[in-house]
This record gives sequence, C-alpha cells and structure tokens, in this order.
Amino acid sequence: MTNGAMERADALPARGGTVFDIGYRNYTGPREGRLRARLAVYKDGVRTALGLGRGGRAKILPWLFIGVLAAIGVVMSLLAGAANRYIGRAAAQQLNLPSHADYYGIASIVLFVFAAVVAPDLLCRDRREGVLNLYLVRPLTGTDYIIARWAAFLTVLVAAAWLPQLILLTGLAMGDPSPLSYLRQHWLDIPRFLSAGAAIALYTTTLAMLTASFTTRRAYASVFLVGLFAITTPFTTALAIELGGTAGRWISMFNLTNIPVHVNDVIFNDVSQITSVAPARELSKSILVSWYFAWTLIPATILWLRYRRVAP
Amino acid sequence: MQYGNVVALNGVSFDVSEGITGLLGENGAGKSTAIKIFLGLIRPTSGAASVLGRNASVSVDVRARLGYMPEHDCLPTHVSAAEFLTHMAEVSGLPPSLARTRAADTLRHTGLFEERYRSMGGYSTGMKQRVKLSQALVHDPAFVFLDEPTAGLDPVGREEMLALVRKTHREFGISILLSSHLMADVERTCDRILVLQGGQLVQSGEVGHFTKETETVFIEVDTNRDGLVAALDRRGVQVVLDGGGLTIEGADESVYDLVRDALVEAEAPLRRMAPRRRALAELFRRDGDDADIGAAT
Repeated sequence: MTNGAMERADALPARGGTVFDIGYRNYTGPREGRLRARLAVYKDGVRTALGLGRGGRAKILPWLFIGVLAAIGVVMSLLAGAANRYIGRAAAQQLNLPSHADYYGIASIVLFVFAAVVAPDLLCRDRREGVLNLYLVRPLTGTDYIIARWAAFLTVLVAAAWLPQLILLTGLAMGDPSPLSYLRQHWLDIPRFLSAGAAIALYTTTLAMLTASFTTRRAYASVFLVGLFAITTPFTTALAIELGGTAGRWISMFNLTNIPVHVNDVIFNDVSQITSVAPARELSKSILVSWYFAWTLIPATILWLRYRRVAP
Repeated sequence: MQYGNVVALNGVSFDVSEGITGLLGENGAGKSTAIKIFLGLIRPTSGAASVLGRNASVSVDVRARLGYMPEHDCLPTHVSAAEFLTHMAEVSGLPPSLARTRAADTLRHTGLFEERYRSMGGYSTGMKQRVKLSQALVHDPAFVFLDEPTAGLDPVGREEMLALVRKTHREFGISILLSSHLMADVERTCDRILVLQGGQLVQSGEVGHFTKETETVFIEVDTNRDGLVAALDRRGVQVVLDGGGLTIEGADESVYDLVRDALVEAEAPLRRMAPRRRALAELFRRDGDDADIGAAT
C-alpha cells in the first residue's frame, strides 16, 4: 500500500462488520401443488436417466448407448451418401442399403439394452434408499409418481430413438444432389420414423419399468431384462423354424425383440432385415399390432397397479 | 388399524393441537402406524384421521402443508443436501427458483449450510438426521410429524436435535407431533403427551400436569424414622418407605407444615428434605402396568 493510500485508510472511520440474523421467515410464495410435484419427479427422472448433475460415472452408460445409436445412424447415412455419390442414385437404390425402415430393426437391441441398464435406476434407487416414502408424503400419489418416472424415461428413449433417424434423414438429404427435392419425395418417412420410434420406446420403457418395479436392485432388473431378450430371441427363432406353419408363426410372436419391429414394418409398409426371417411376419397386420398393444398395455397396467396403492 | 391378524391400533381417538405433542410408546405400540394414517399413507381398517381439518388420504393437496421425518433411512447417497432439498421443495409444490432459496435457508437454520454441497453419502448420522429434519421443513409446513428424530444419535447429537425440534416450534411456529420411545426426549421437548401401549391410548395430557401430579417430597432423618411415619400417619399423610428415608407422593405446599409438626412430635433429627419430580418413566411404569418404556439418560 502506498503512503497516500495508507493515509486515506487511516482517515476513514473504523467500521466493524455487522452480522444480521434475519431469523426464520415463513414461506409466502406460490404453492403449485400436484402439477409442480409431478413435473419435479419427471425432471429428476430425465436427469437421472442421462446422468445430468451426477458424477462422470453416472454419465458413461447413458451417453455411451446414445452414442452407439447415433453412430449407427451416422454410418448408415455415410454409406447411403457414398453410394449415391459414387455409383449414382439409381444404382444405389438397387443395392438395397439400410434405410429409415431398417434402422429400428438394426438398433432395437441397443435400445433394449439401454432400457435394461438405465431405466431401473429411476425406480430401484428410490425404493432402496427410502426416498419413495418422502415423495408419497407430499402432494403426489403413487400413480403420479410412476407416471412421471415412466414418462421421464420414455422421453429419453424417444429422443434416443429419433436422434439417429434425424441424422440419417439429414445425411440422406445432404447426400442427394437436390436436398429439397429429396425431402419432398420422402417427407412421409418423417412421421413414419417418428411414430415407429415412439412405438418401440413405449414398449421398451414399459417392460423395463415393470421389471424394475419388482426389485430394489438395479443390477437384478438389468440382468433379468438382458437375459429375457437374449434368451427369447434365439429360443423362439429356433423353435419357430423347427415347428413351422401356424404354430411356428405364433411361437415367433414371442420373440420380444421383434414385437415392436413388426409394428415398424406395418408403419413403413415394408419388411426390415431383422423381421424378414421371422415367421410371424406372415400374420396379418392387425394381429401384429394387437400383439404389440397387448405387450405394452398389460405390463403398463400391472406397473400402475403396483404403484397405485404403494405405501412405505 | 389391522395388518392381517395383528391389530396395530385399536379404538384410539385423540386430538393434537398447536405446539409440540409427544407420541410415546414402546416399539410396536403403533406410533408409526398412527403417523402414517395421519399422512394418508395407509388407510385405517375402520375410523378416520384428519389433519389440518382434512383427510390426507383423500385430499392429497393437504400434504403440501405437512412435513414428515421418517425414522428409517430416506436419503439418497449420491446427491448433495442442497440439491436434494431443492428437489424435495419442488415436489412439495414450490417453484424451482424459490425452492433453491428455501433449501439454502432451511439448511442454514438446521446448521448444515457449510456442508450443503457435499454428497450426503459422506455425512455422519447426526448430519443425516438434520437433513431428514430439513427436508420435512423445507416447504414451510404448518404441521410436522417427526418419527424418532433422535434415533441413532449420541448424547450431544440428541441434545442438538431436541433443541432444533424446540426451535422448530418456538421460532418457526410449526406444530409438531413427535414420536419417541424415549421418555426423556418427550419430557424435555413436548408440551403435551400421548402414550400408546399395545395399540391403545393409555394416557394423554399436558406434560407439566403429569410431572406436577407426580411431585414427591423425599425426607431422610437420622433416627426414629418409624416414629415420624406414625406421626405423619396421624396427620393423614400417606408415606412410602424409600431406602433409608421416606417419600410423600403428590405433595403440595401444605404438606410441609404437617411434616414440620410431625418431625417435632417424633423428635426425629432431620438430615434432608427435598422435593423430587419423578420421571415420566416411573409414572407410566406404575400407571401403564409396567410398560417397558425406556427412560433415556
């Protein structure tokens, strides 16, 4: 400090700091009730699923899966773009390269594993750590809680399902000499992949959440779900081929991985690569769609019943 | 309230008014069940419970004005106290920006302000109990249910927690129903007391009233204790022999004159005479048919 500054400081009156204890203040702001409570649980569910606001380790798995899903979209768009560029559009179409209709068939297993690994974290931890008890003494019912959690993971999974399709669409449009004319010709793919993505996310989220509702351990739910998909797919495929005929077609319906992909095929009016060998594809569209709804609505109802009257 | 063949609460009826009310009883007496019924978490087999004039199992919105501190663990280990309380305030219906402010304010009042950004997994038992209390208060409820708030705490931690409970009512103006199996906690903290035993309400009233009722005078003399007993008996004063001395139960100020006269008559040299307030534990051990209610030290 210079001499001048020291002199100025000396000239200032001595002032001590004062700490004011403002005491307890009652809350007089708005209380937004049940809607805010639902929104808070939903928001927390999305953050948990993506590992936001958590340490680095919590982010690894969700973002790894999202990265893999996006990478599939990127590779598909690069392949299509390269084919268009080097051999021409007409010749590229002859190659039958993977398209929007094929994406969910290829990526469905990644979406299932993503749900199996991440979705249980939204329910199991709350029950294991007792936080659920604190939710239920607030303006929130068991139904509110489970719908908020279910919707949170559905949002994440829908976004994870749509993102690669949007990348693929962008890639395909950009790879075309006339992107606008490409979009005009293929605009119908957009509502198709949006609805097919929503369908696969709805089914996968519901099954994963139902499984998670039976255990407080995330690992148990994850292993069970991965095992379920890993076992039913080869088992039903082999048995369906062995039996053949009507029995084979119905056995093939129990291939849990294929159930939403059949709906994808109905939406695109096409057969994706994964279901092209499934005998169930020969069944009528109404049966395939009804089967999908049965496998979505029944687990959803069981899940709701489990949480409707949940008590600590 | 019945769980299968087990009757958890039977014919229990009571009112809880403003202030701090102690719900006292041994483990399994039905204290937690009563609290859960009030909160609307479980429905009674018959009968009803209302809080703030509404049945919380029917009217979910009333829970926005209630707080609950459970006995068991209920804290996520991977988040900070500030984040957790903000979330709990939002779940109670507060907008996000105000929820953050309330969380910080509440943690300051419960003595965790400096530690609020640390992950709760590393908290001590005392700190966890404070967070549990904080989450019950973060939305400024009108009424709070505290289930065994001193569970697992050492003597210093217990004193601090009981001081916080008293502060919650006296400074924050929040009424409390405190459940405990520890007589000392209830005696030192509460204005009123409800005693549950075997699912039934066996006692209720002001804590001061109970302790006044049980005031005793302890008298010790050097010699001729029997003569003193006889002299007191002639004056209509009932005594109980207590070790080397004797006690007079339910004593008021008039009994001191009678004791003086009896001492003179019996020519018994007085060594010691002092009023002694019996602990609530002794009262309920007598009235509650030897109820096994722990008197914590």
